[in-house]
Amino acid sequence: MGLLTGLKVLEIGEHISAPYAAANFVRLGAEVVKIETARGDVSRGYGPYPNARRDKEQSALFLAHNHGKKSILLDLNTSAGQGNLKAMIPHFDLVVENQKLGFFNDRSLGFDEVNTINPSLIWVSILPFGETGPYSNYLADDLILFHMSGNAHGMIGPVEDPNLEPPIRAGGYQSHMVAGLTASTAAMIANYRRLNTGEGCRIVVSELNAMITMAISGIANTAFDHPPPTRQLSKVEGSSIGGMVSAIGGVLKCNDGYVAISPREDAQWERWLEILGNPSWSKDEKFISREGRQNNVSELWDRLTEWSSPKSKFDIAKWGQEKRIPCFPVNTIQDLLVDEHLEAREFFVEIAHTKAGNLLHPGLAYKLSNAELPKGMISAPELGQHTEEILERYVKNE
Amino acid sequence: MDFSWIIAGPTAARHLALMGAEVIKVGSSRRPDPSARGAPFQVYNQSKEYCALNLSTSKGLDIAKELVSISDVVIENFAAGVFERIGLDYQTLKNLRPDVIMVSSAGTGHTGPDKDYVAYGSLLQHYTGWNTISGYGDGEPIKGGLWADPWVGMELAMVTVAAINHRMQTGKGQYIDFSMAESLTASIPSSLLGYQMTNSLPVPSGNEDPINSPHGLYKCQGQDEWIAISIQNATQWESLCGTIGKKEMSLDTRLSSPEKRRNHSSEIDTVITAFTSGLSAHKAMEILQDNDIPAGPSINIAQVYEDPHTIGSGYLTPQTYPNGVTRLMPGMPWTSNLENSFHLEAAPEIGASNLRIYKELIGISSKDYETYLENQIIY
Repeated sequence: MGLLTGLKVLEIGEHISAPYAAANFVRLGAEVVKIETARGDVSRGYGPYPNARRDKEQSALFLAHNHGKKSILLDLNTSAGQGNLKAMIPHFDLVVENQKLGFFNDRSLGFDEVNTINPSLIWVSILPFGETGPYSNYLADDLILFHMSGNAHGMIGPVEDPNLEPPIRAGGYQSHMVAGLTASTAAMIANYRRLNTGEGCRIVVSELNAMITMAISGIANTAFDHPPPTRQLSKVEGSSIGGMVSAIGGVLKCNDGYVAISPREDAQWERWLEILGNPSWSKDEKFISREGRQNNVSELWDRLTEWSSPKSKFDIAKWGQEKRIPCFPVNTIQDLLVDEHLEAREFFVEIAHTKAGNLLHPGLAYKLSNAELPKGMISAPELGQHTEEILERYVKNE
Repeated sequence: MDFSWIIAGPTAARHLALMGAEVIKVGSSRRPDPSARGAPFQVYNQSKEYCALNLSTSKGLDIAKELVSISDVVIENFAAGVFERIGLDYQTLKNLRPDVIMVSSAGTGHTGPDKDYVAYGSLLQHYTGWNTISGYGDGEPIKGGLWADPWVGMELAMVTVAAINHRMQTGKGQYIDFSMAESLTASIPSSLLGYQMTNSLPVPSGNEDPINSPHGLYKCQGQDEWIAISIQNATQWESLCGTIGKKEMSLDTRLSSPEKRRNHSSEIDTVITAFTSGLSAHKAMEILQDNDIPAGPSINIAQVYEDPHTIGSGYLTPQTYPNGVTRLMPGMPWTSNLENSFHLEAAPEIGASNLRIYKELIGISSKDYETYLENQIIY
């Protein structure tokens, strides 16, 4: 039994945010029915696909977020489809959706309506800008939300000329992932309230505000009158930007990629030099103090790179960690799939797909003492695979 | 009970506090929360009570246990094994409160060969695959810090409440052994599946998109002013061409699909930039959005704070500090149809709740209280 076994979820989702939110519930044992139109979830059309052959049943983006769900075809533009949805609503605890603002009101399926049918139903909507505020009618995708959230300005670190090198977004449609996770959290809290009071409620997640919440430290700094970090390399002072090359730490080239190191405190630096065999250059006055290392950071990094280049990122990370220095290989996707630590923790879960074969999916990021982990999970459904079964169960037997 | 520090654990407890849970943060001046030095502490610890307790003393440990026995949830995020060495392992907590939910978050979790790895969030993200799916595909990992800790804080809150819901239905408590690294790796699932299907590693491409075009950043008027524009369908493409005064471009068959437009991207980008470079980023957004074209400015965090939508959407609200200063502080990124959705209060200073917690809540006598203060137990 999982943490959410018995919870019944209806997903009216597309692409990433709502499907990912519902996938979090699937992994915890909830039963999720996904409503799709005849075209299918747009992520079925995104890929990548095995052997580069386009197939709506084998898109990686779709399979990533839809395993363990049941797919039902329902056209909510028709009164028959709307009627079926209304017939299903009394049987569910939670709806999660990311349709356009006004979609349900326009079809007489607004919250007031469904709340009458099922007063304990929780309805979670995900909208790019929420439904209040000046931008609530604006259109956006991951690129736009990411750049409007303040996160893009920190991504690549300072540049020579900010007017020539634009900020960039992260890979992996992160603002939709963040919105999905946020919706999952909101839904869990609403469910707690439902279990206590028997009452449902409606929650609207703003994707933009969810992504801003990922930069909440910067929000706090601004609230307390600190200026934002500059993007102009020549104006960078100190060494406080996480992850960039500085005396605090950075990334070194190796013979198999990169290793991230951070021998920032003096004691850590001394232990780090032991790994390097206490080279003569390290005794130079300019590298003795943390301040000195910061002031001579490019020369320092050249010296370290000379040492690291012929070595393996995995060896260096291990040597560093053995001496209690924060140190990690920069793992590629390939490295992760064979990582011994992740294997020991049984992080990846193998799910068999009739067409795409056996694939390793990320499982839960935690172990639970008193609930089962998602083993033996079934793969993502084919488009409309469970239409008859679901309508039979919830609609026709009424 | 929030025994956690720095970012991830306190953020999880913050979310619960904002949603109405009674959260008591415990810390000691012997080893102060490092984040207390900076402004971010003021958001990580909103709406909590904060009492001082020295867990290295046996009386301090006894008091902690008494607090645990009346709590639903215990959150900690020390390095793996530290909380256990203090004497607060799950078995002990369970003896005090059989249905307690103990949430332990650590860099690489609490089992497995690398469980004792020293981790900072900014470094850990390199381990998780995050940094190899972003950037320009030139092989260099990106250097910027991502949102490792805030992401983990949100997922910790999610699973904590899921465990509470489970307890309400089964009566069972829970020990949650949480790995930050796994949480981040789990957030890039399509890259993991895509690699297994294609045998080729994802190649990051900055602001570009594998599907849509045009899709990128365009220079606006002013220092470091840029606007993000993303065209998702033929209607938006036609509208963009008309809005920037190049209606004929929408009839150009060389540009009639995203693939074709990608092949002529420099030609298209020049035309779009000719339009945007005369406008501020916000003005460009307004004009484009009025014509149903997805667009928004690329702004830094100070500009986000001042953006009309950040306040207009209700995300920032005024919060008054004990010294009388009022600042706009963040709430949760959602709204609901309920009244009083959030409980928002300024973050406390260490020890601010000592009297309420120790005297009122668990009934320590005034005499003992003074002794504990003197002996640096309440410290």
